[in-house]
Amino acid sequence: MLATPWICRNCLLRLRNPLVRQQIRLQSTASTSEAIPLALLTRARTVASEHKELTKKLANGFDTRAAKKSGEYSPIVNALQDWDKANESVAELTTLIHESTTDPELRSLAADDLSETRTQLANASQSLITSLVPVHPFAHLPCLLEIRPGAGGLEAAIFAGDLFRMYQAFCNRNGLRTNLLKYENINGTTEAGIPLSEAILEVENVNSYGIFRCEAGVHRVQRVPATENKGRTHTSAVSVRVLPSLQENSAAEENFDDPESDYYIDVKEVKVEVMRASGAGGQHVNKTESAVRLTHLPTNTVVSMQDSRSQHKNKEKAWALLRSRIAQSRREKREEEVANMRRSVIGVAKMGRGDKVRTYNWGQQRVTDHRSGTTVHDLDDVMEGGPTLEQVMESVRNWLMERDVETLIAEEGEKK
Amino acid sequence: MPRITTSLLRKARTIDPFLPALLGPCRDLYAAQNELRWLHEHVEKVAKARRAKGDTLAEEALLRQLVVERASGKPLQYILGTEYFGDLEIRCRPGVLIPRSDTAASVTHIVGLLRKAHNLPPELRVLDLCTGTGCIPLLFQHELYSTRNDIDLRVLGVDVSHKALRLASYNLQKVRNTRQYVDKGRVRFLKADILLDPFADQTRGPLPLKTALNLKGQPPFWDILVSNPPYVSPSACWKTTTRSVRGFEPKLALVPPPSKPSQPDMVQGDEFYPRLLSIAQDVEAKIVLLEVADLEQALRVARCARDLDIFDGIEIWRDQPDSSPDDITDEDGFPVLGQGNARSVICWRGTGALWLGKVTAATSKGDDVQ
Repeated sequence: MLATPWICRNCLLRLRNPLVRQQIRLQSTASTSEAIPLALLTRARTVASEHKELTKKLANGFDTRAAKKSGEYSPIVNALQDWDKANESVAELTTLIHESTTDPELRSLAADDLSETRTQLANASQSLITSLVPVHPFAHLPCLLEIRPGAGGLEAAIFAGDLFRMYQAFCNRNGLRTNLLKYENINGTTEAGIPLSEAILEVENVNSYGIFRCEAGVHRVQRVPATENKGRTHTSAVSVRVLPSLQENSAAEENFDDPESDYYIDVKEVKVEVMRASGAGGQHVNKTESAVRLTHLPTNTVVSMQDSRSQHKNKEKAWALLRSRIAQSRREKREEEVANMRRSVIGVAKMGRGDKVRTYNWGQQRVTDHRSGTTVHDLDDVMEGGPTLEQVMESVRNWLMERDVETLIAEEGEKK
Repeated sequence: MPRITTSLLRKARTIDPFLPALLGPCRDLYAAQNELRWLHEHVEKVAKARRAKGDTLAEEALLRQLVVERASGKPLQYILGTEYFGDLEIRCRPGVLIPRSDTAASVTHIVGLLRKAHNLPPELRVLDLCTGTGCIPLLFQHELYSTRNDIDLRVLGVDVSHKALRLASYNLQKVRNTRQYVDKGRVRFLKADILLDPFADQTRGPLPLKTALNLKGQPPFWDILVSNPPYVSPSACWKTTTRSVRGFEPKLALVPPPSKPSQPDMVQGDEFYPRLLSIAQDVEAKIVLLEVADLEQALRVARCARDLDIFDGIEIWRDQPDSSPDDITDEDGFPVLGQGNARSVICWRGTGALWLGKVTAATSKGDDVQ
């Protein structure tokens, strides 16, 4: 007989399979501060061995190129040495503590030391990462966030408005200065509270492109829309584009006249069209059209602006927008070429447009990022632009960084 | 004018109930949407100003009233009170001609040429006849001082209308308050009638230009003469002007007064140009820029200038004179630059050719003129 009183079978089963199952994603990419991605470590080791060879070569005779390369590598090698040392001491201390033969006094001393060495290790890995990871060439720039509804009709437009408010709140919370360049709801007016048809938000702080770069792509929403009266869940999509911005302060830093720059546009290649009244013109009409349309002929990129009554201001805005679009497309093209070359090596999902990057699910109150594989459950906090959103963005940035490093390694491999 | 289709009206109505009314003057859905947005912004601005004073305002009612006014054809610039002229926001009031963006394009282009010149005189004198809102003197000053600081600019705007002069002074005040070059350059306005003959018997009313210049202590010689005179002939006024121009803008600024009874229509439209050219001769202007209605009038004015035989070169500029250098065509021996309708006639002589960078053009043109 059983020692316990009778228990119903259902309850026993319930005990075995808890009602609320914790969903755990066992993803190896979620990196902590001390852990260094394997890819990075491999690269650091290669660099170190190369550096050793270079030093040997330099000992025999001077070579300018080798000296320069060795100079470039030395911060990485130093960081790797620091990290190795810290790592070793941590391992040593841990074994010391866990070994049964150690006497208690030594063990307590080791425990004291351990925490300090751990922080050293964290610092070392941080510096190793920063010395290794290539910085995105536009990361220091302010950025433009363009939000447009995709598939899903009115619901997509409503969610576009939600996303727009989310980013605005995120900027407010983090003290980022923003400037609304364009806001148009589906009626073609600027009134808020009506589903959005297009919004362009400029984040003026430096490094904003680095922060928001991870947000570009298709954001998917799954919920019962306000417009639905039968209670069915819909899936809609909103596209977010992130472009480095060049307006005002940052414009001075980039050289527009330098043909090497991504932002260089030959004025001859742009067709400027100004809306003019048909017919006599001059004193015969008092037109109010101030629309300006710029067409970049080689790429067929068209930008039109009609927000302001001043044709002059419209023209300035249109030029700024055209410059950023061209620069972005040039960079994308370059990246595309590089990616095509070694898609087989890396097998990274394409990150530009096309694939969805994140899902907001109202039914399960969850937000999942499909690139880093992070899932968070505080949907409300995400939509208010709170720390949970920051957490998701952080994870994507780490993911991006790892991809960058993998690309770098593949590049090195190809060169050999 | 083709009727607005019912489907367009219906489409406009689904977007906003005010839009169908605006389609009347705008004729085009996008233009109507833009105008409605600007009216919205204007009403919000007014309401904000009122609230700051502790007043309240029925925004909806005001917007409705403005839309009704606009639907009757009243120019949007009179309703909102301003118009952009190049980079500047110029105040407009009924009774004074609204600045046109075509004029701004010509003025910007000529200043763009002058800015590159190395041998401008230390004091550059610019005379603007028929100044209206004062937009040309203000834009001239703004554009020149945006890159050049070594020149003392002196601009005089002349108009016959008291209303226009008051508005021009107001605009000058406003531009001074918002820009940095407060004490740089001198802009003045003067009341005079340029059609009056200085040697005829004096009557009551505005003085002839020469007398007024003498009386106000203004110099008798000027380097550049710019003018956007009335140039619409009476028949063109009925046929080609839009309803909002015909019904709301001053006739004084559009149609020259008849000098003789029963004169041909075309002659009345060209009334001002012979006077302007002879004034240019009197004040020894090196560069003359005159706005015209179309290519036919431009050619008539250019021929008139050629017959005077004092200018080294004559060109005709279109609406966008700066578009590209290969847009030059030739009409009756006059080069025509740019794209759009023919908009202005420019003549130069002496050092004016150097200021405009036309030296080579002037030498090659010299043969044609003779």
